[in-house]
Amino acid sequence: MDVVVCLKQVVDPELPARDFAIDPRSRRQAREGRTLVISTYDEHALEVALRLKEQTGGKVTTLAVGPQAALGEAVRKALAMGADEALVVDEPRAPEWLGAEVAPVLAAAIRRIGPVDLVLAGCESADWVERVVAPLLAEALGAACVTFAARVEPADGGVLVRRMADDGVHHVAARLPAVVSVASDDANKPRLPKVKDIVAARRKPVTVVATADLEVDPAWRLPAPEVRGVTVPPRTGTCEMLGGEPAEQVEALVRRLRDLKLL
Amino acid sequence: MRELTLRPTDYYQLDELLDDDARLVRDTVRRFVDREVIPHIGGWWLRGEFPRHLPAALGELGVLGANLPVEYGAAGVNNVTYGLILQELERGDSGLRSFASVQGALVMYPIHAFGSEAQKRHWLPRLARGDAVGCFGLTEPGAGSDPGAMQTRARRRGGGWELTGTKMWITNGSLADVAVVWAKDDEGEIRGFLVERGTPGFVAHEITTKASMRASDTSELVLEGVRVDDDARLPEANGLRAPLSCLTQARYGIAWGAVGAAAACFEEALAYAGARTAFGRPIAARQLIQARLVDMLTELTKGQLLAFRLGQLKDAGRMRYTHVSLAKRNNVRMALEVARAARTILGAYGVTLEYHAMRHAANLESVDTYEGTHDIHTLVVGRDLTGLDAFQ
Ligand SMILES: Cc1cc2nc3c(=O)[nH]c(=O)nc-3n(C[C@H](O)[C@H](O)[C@H](O)COP(=O)(O)OP(=O)(O)OC[C@H]3O[C@@H](n4cnc5c(N)ncnc54)[C@H](O)[C@@H]3O)c2cc1C
Repeated sequence: MDVVVCLKQVVDPELPARDFAIDPRSRRQAREGRTLVISTYDEHALEVALRLKEQTGGKVTTLAVGPQAALGEAVRKALAMGADEALVVDEPRAPEWLGAEVAPVLAAAIRRIGPVDLVLAGCESADWVERVVAPLLAEALGAACVTFAARVEPADGGVLVRRMADDGVHHVAARLPAVVSVASDDANKPRLPKVKDIVAARRKPVTVVATADLEVDPAWRLPAPEVRGVTVPPRTGTCEMLGGEPAEQVEALVRRLRDLKLL
Repeated sequence: MRELTLRPTDYYQLDELLDDDARLVRDTVRRFVDREVIPHIGGWWLRGEFPRHLPAALGELGVLGANLPVEYGAAGVNNVTYGLILQELERGDSGLRSFASVQGALVMYPIHAFGSEAQKRHWLPRLARGDAVGCFGLTEPGAGSDPGAMQTRARRRGGGWELTGTKMWITNGSLADVAVVWAKDDEGEIRGFLVERGTPGFVAHEITTKASMRASDTSELVLEGVRVDDDARLPEANGLRAPLSCLTQARYGIAWGAVGAAAACFEEALAYAGARTAFGRPIAARQLIQARLVDMLTELTKGQLLAFRLGQLKDAGRMRYTHVSLAKRNNVRMALEVARAARTILGAYGVTLEYHAMRHAANLESVDTYEGTHDIHTLVVGRDLTGLDAFQ
């Protein structure tokens, strides 16, 4: 099964909170000087792709849209984990794009890669959490779409997807080509690249194209939301002590959490 | 826009000096240690248990002897990257790093440097994968700092050799599938032998009373008339220079490893000091605590710079053994002092194994002693500096 995995590079979500800042001009998260990593769920998507490859053979290609110079480490890591090749769309504006802007470019890049069976992406990005890229991609590519997949298994002519939903777990069969967005699951915990593979990844093929070199169908372009303002919520904290015996404390705690609509 | 917070364990932004490979390898090993070691290490240490599954896991990750060439199954990374691997392992535990140092620098290195082609082909890939474990027997009950005084003998018997003697304090000794044993021949020349587990007359006894390095296997090796063929001898190892050159490799890794242990203790102390309140304020607000933290950070940063520069010299082929002595001596003592200071900041919690400072401090007592004691390295650098030999 030939699989394309879309990887977004984001500011490391584990950076100290003090270093989270919003660039007032772009209304986007400041990237300057910060560590950039592959967005959390995209790494899970890559793991799903690598496991499918181990079961069925085929090729895993990673696809990333962003400023080429900044993408080096993310691409290298994906290749070291086991992807066969990488396509990078060099696009300096991408860090400011939202899902509706990047999806048509991803679709055009996937068309360029050629016929693929399956496109995987994280179910949401670690920065914007829009959850729109996979459905938009499926629409553009005329492919089936399944979101929030915990597991993806090959089935004849298609895939079986175990999907996390609000009301439980859905088992969905999809035909190919399909676009599947991946949520985290014990079965897709991203592997650590091996030292040897990190060294060897330098020799794996990386193709770089510019957005202008791609044929982006204007029909795929949807109006992107306009971001009017972004603010960092002020950090507040209060501590409430619950008295009594442990059993009473538990009851009081449950009551408080219900009041706060956290349960 | 205001300046970014400096990461306390990279205050001088040494990250910028590393290439993609080095950073990626470092972060990978760091994640491995965070996932596979830190959550369990307190228990292993308390029970005096070396985790048997780790050699294969480390082999799978590709960190064993990682600076040796790829043709025999190693990863072939440069020495700075190799140093970072050991730094991250020792951030977990000095015993884990000791395992890797012995396997890589004291077993794989001598086989690679002094072994026959057949020995290399047989052992190096297995050792790199962690399928086989090795140990290095130089120290004896009566000869530590002065290995030239060793009593273990290798006598020619027909076409082969007979080994007799006792080796003491041998890391991985009971686990090992193969021991690199150093012995004097009839002419008084020191030679190295590969002795396999189970060879008649060869036994290992684990030392179980350690108050340090408890998650590491340290054993006594007893050789009573152990017969080996001549092809068990490392053909290119002649004289004390051979084992000493292995120790230079291992000490190089220790200079980096100690930085990892110190960083772990410093991070723990910094976090604790910010969270612990006494007399109505976080203890981190007190001048005495701040002074301690700043001293720790300063020494840690100096140690990082020393290790990095040592790595550059090694990669350039210009590292001298005295460079290594200076770095081993400084960084291990630095780490020991940082660990003790961290323990102090942690108060009573600091004496438990839920925190890491005490375990690191206890381990580092061994690291300060093995691979040339702190004082021995003083005399090595002193001799280099003055041209006068204090050992005579
Ligand atoms: C946990 C652990 C693991 C070890 N693993 C190994 C291993 O895998 N393989 C191996 O071969 N060995 C190993 N060792 C042994 C270690 O290398 C020796 O302990 C070390 O070389 C010191 O030798 P010693 O203990 O006999 O001390 P000694 O040499 O007896 O020294 C005792 C004290 O005297 C001082 N001293 C000695 N000579 C002088 C001098 N000329 N001038 C001033 N002071 C001097 C020393 O600095 C030290 O303070 C290990 C030790 C430990 C604790």
